[in-house]
Amino acid sequence: MQFFSREHLRSVFTKPTNYINTNRGEAYYKALYEKMRKRLDELKAMSPVREADIKFEKMLDMWELSRRDFLKWVSATTALLMLPPNFEPLVAEAAEVMNRVPVIWINIQDCDGNSEALLRSSAPTVDELILEYLSLEYHETLMAAAGDQAEEALEKAVHDFKGKYLLFVEGSIPVGMPEAFTIGRHPETGVERVQRLAKDAAAVIAVGACAAFGGIPAAYPNPTGAVGVMDVVKGKPIVNIPACPANPTNMVGVIMHYVLTGELPELDSLLRPKFAFGYRIHDNCERRAHFDAGEFVEEWGDEGAKNNFCLYKMGCKGPFTFNNCSIVRYNDGTNWPIGIGRGCIGCSEPDFWDKYATERPLAASNIRPPGLNGVESTVDQVGLGILTATVIGIGAHAVASLVAGKKSDENNQ
Amino acid sequence: MYEKVKRMTATMRIIHWVNVFSIITAVITGLYIANPFFQSFIAEPAAHKYVMAYNRLFHFFAALLLDVVSIVIFYLYFASRFEKVYKKVIPTKQNLKEFWEVFLNLITLNRRKNFDSTHLDSFNAVYFTVLHLLLLWMLFTGFYMYVQGLESGESAIGRWWPALLHLATDWVGWLLGGHAGVRWWHHFTMWLILSWVAFHIYYQVWRTIFWKEGDIGIVFGGYKFKKQPKEQV
Ligand code: HEM
Ligand code: SF4
Repeated sequence: MQFFSREHLRSVFTKPTNYINTNRGEAYYKALYEKMRKRLDELKAMSPVREADIKFEKMLDMWELSRRDFLKWVSATTALLMLPPNFEPLVAEAAEVMNRVPVIWINIQDCDGNSEALLRSSAPTVDELILEYLSLEYHETLMAAAGDQAEEALEKAVHDFKGKYLLFVEGSIPVGMPEAFTIGRHPETGVERVQRLAKDAAAVIAVGACAAFGGIPAAYPNPTGAVGVMDVVKGKPIVNIPACPANPTNMVGVIMHYVLTGELPELDSLLRPKFAFGYRIHDNCERRAHFDAGEFVEEWGDEGAKNNFCLYKMGCKGPFTFNNCSIVRYNDGTNWPIGIGRGCIGCSEPDFWDKYATERPLAASNIRPPGLNGVESTVDQVGLGILTATVIGIGAHAVASLVAGKKSDENNQ
Repeated sequence: MYEKVKRMTATMRIIHWVNVFSIITAVITGLYIANPFFQSFIAEPAAHKYVMAYNRLFHFFAALLLDVVSIVIFYLYFASRFEKVYKKVIPTKQNLKEFWEVFLNLITLNRRKNFDSTHLDSFNAVYFTVLHLLLLWMLFTGFYMYVQGLESGESAIGRWWPALLHLATDWVGWLLGGHAGVRWWHHFTMWLILSWVAFHIYYQVWRTIFWKEGDIGIVFGGYKFKKQPKEQV
């Protein structure tokens, strides 16, 4: 190849820089397609968990969603899972066989915000419908049953679907003060409940910042000793879908992945699915040009705010936060925190309430210095303190030297 | 009579001043990154002015220089033909004694001086090593933050670079509690370095004044002077 040939120049100047591998080659997708096909056929052969369930198309009708709405959702979900377009029929089918996968959904210390995020959209969405259509065996805030009846339903589900159900956990688990959360007529603490139900689950999905990392209940001083699911459940596959609330798109994405492959998606070191948490907010943010330019909002409502400047100085923690809200947004892609001019509070990262949710950059926020619990000061205050102490020491030594110091030649005399 | 003693080669002096200017650059740009303290009033569209981007760029240039120089210094610690610093840092009996004597000289305000001040002494050798450890710490915490922006696993120079950085720095995040902790420590260590610098400058000036051996000249011309004992004159 010649040096100045078009091909060569292109290879020199188009190094892959900021690029996620969405094309893994024909062979890979062919194998994947086969695998998914097989899995879906298996699921189809199974009968729905509850025989009486209505058909998916009927469901769409009832919710006044058109086939077109559904297909739009299918394309979006296929893209979310980084699959090529020819996988769309599979995704559509997967939605229809969702009722073959039993789900148990429990709430511990939380505000139910993740369920709410899924349910309280402006108009019925397919995501919401999926939750309804899923074979949801137990969900405290959704089911009609109460009291003994509810407990019975739970026992039955655990018994009937031993080793097969997905356990969704919402909320943090108080291990320091287990009695802070008890539920049921035969009271069970949060720790006991999660451990017991996880034992027979196929996998545990922790939704929301609380279930993933302890979230707000775990904020300083963490009175109940709240922790996330992964600190309590051992020896089970766990997926964390943090954020406050977790994005419904990502919850549905994980379920879809499980239905399609029978496996859990690829995870990062904090057990978050990479398809959703492999992006840093800051790197896909629409205000990034203003960050690089040094154009910052200085005060709520100032000229910068009116011109959509970067929110870094108002405490945006996009540079530390991994999540896909800058891409898929919230509420059906309507908007997201930075879009409305509020800045990111890092809600999908561990300890977000103590470390990220401030209205100033990290360096100007009162964050408890390591090892000095109870002290609230900025890193500059601590650092300046140390520098001041040094300078005082130097000053004292200098004065003492001037008054009483011995010059070397006096020594020699 | 004064005797002229060579204390720093040209290479060593270049290294010293590269360190100085890199640290000054890193501190100024680092403080801007932490909390952008000036507004960019340049009447240009955002895509042209790049104030934060240049601050970060210079921060990374300074970091790059510090890192490269660190490697050279590390090499010279063991292999310098002029003065192998590691020999003064290892805690042998003699080094411990010298460290203690130099320290006493400082706190007795030069009333006691029982060591040979023509050579690099153990006290200073240890003190310099502390700086290099602080810089190494900056390097680990800095690269931890740096690789966050390469989340795709790709870089302009290939996949090996982010992979190497992850391998080398992921433990830092685990140790310090994620990005916030790492950034806190990176910022805090800057203050430790500034405190280090304050004492360093004071001490060298103090030596120059009280020892009367022109110590400050070491870092400029490479030489200091040593007064000959009277008998030898
Ligand atoms: C004398 C040495 C250095 C000083 C004084 C220094 C200082 C600082 C300060 C004060 C910050 C802001 C932290 C905050 O937000 O609170 C910072 C950020 C940063 N530093 Fe350094 N630093 C030094 C060396 C390094 C080195 C060796 C690296 C290695 C690559 C590095 C990489 C970074 C990175 C990546 C950031 C974050 C920038 C961003 O994400 O926008 N620094 N530094
Ligand atoms: S608004 Fe936040 S995420 Fe967006 S560029 Fe500014 S700092 Fe980064």
